[in-house]
Amino acid sequence: MIEINIETLQAGAGTTSINAISLTGEIDATNAAEIQRRVMPLSAPGCKLLLDMTKVAYMSSAGLRMLLSLYRQTSAKQGRIVLVGLSDELQDTMSMTGFLGYFTVLDSLESGIQSLVS
Amino acid sequence: MQPLLVPGTLDSLSAIGQYVNAAAVAAGLDKKVAYRLRLAVDEIATNIVIHGYEESGLSGDVLVLSTITDNSLIITLEDTSRPFDPRSMGRPDHIDKPVHERPIGGLGVYLTIQNVDKFDYEYVNGHNRNIFIVNRPKIEA
Repeated sequence: MIEINIETLQAGAGTTSINAISLTGEIDATNAAEIQRRVMPLSAPGCKLLLDMTKVAYMSSAGLRMLLSLYRQTSAKQGRIVLVGLSDELQDTMSMTGFLGYFTVLDSLESGIQSLVS
Repeated sequence: MQPLLVPGTLDSLSAIGQYVNAAAVAAGLDKKVAYRLRLAVDEIATNIVIHGYEESGLSGDVLVLSTITDNSLIITLEDTSRPFDPRSMGRPDHIDKPVHERPIGGLGVYLTIQNVDKFDYEYVNGHNRNIFIVNRPKIEA
């Protein structure tokens, strides 16, 4: 089961529009495609995406594939994506597969917003 | 623990995950070790459902067994799809490549092998048997 919440934040004194996507639950092969379908349309030219994973208790390789697709599309459109709130376990999985170094990964929502504004 | 028999569909992944988590608690595994075992089993269960059954136009069940010994927890997944030894996949050659250069996929089996102490496979009486072994913490004397 996964819950997907999407909201638009105005940051940097209104200069920056950020799409904040918050996921709650477990990401596996049953729902990774659904997340991709919901989130991919936000990956527009120059977009700033903040993916809040604080409430993601589990993620399999289906989630990694979803992140890879999102990363590719966002990079191709000169957008930026920042991940926040990854548990140690999720970071371990991303590290083991060589994903960790390619994503901007920050601890808190605030630091994620700050990074996207700068 | 009693074995768990579920249909070979994606909807069963959650029940398989819960079963593995419960077995990990019963075996006294550390939280991180339990997470990694669940991940390893989930990756293979996903492949069984998608590649073993769905893409092959087959249907069948997945049987999940757990055995706790003095030294280890052993989880076994049994299915009746075509014989397939995940170990034959080898290590993906793209794991060191930048993420934007690598093919999407091929990570599941790699994660499985990385996340248990031993991963084994055998084909017995028309059943694939994927076997996951993790060491239990040593009990202080």
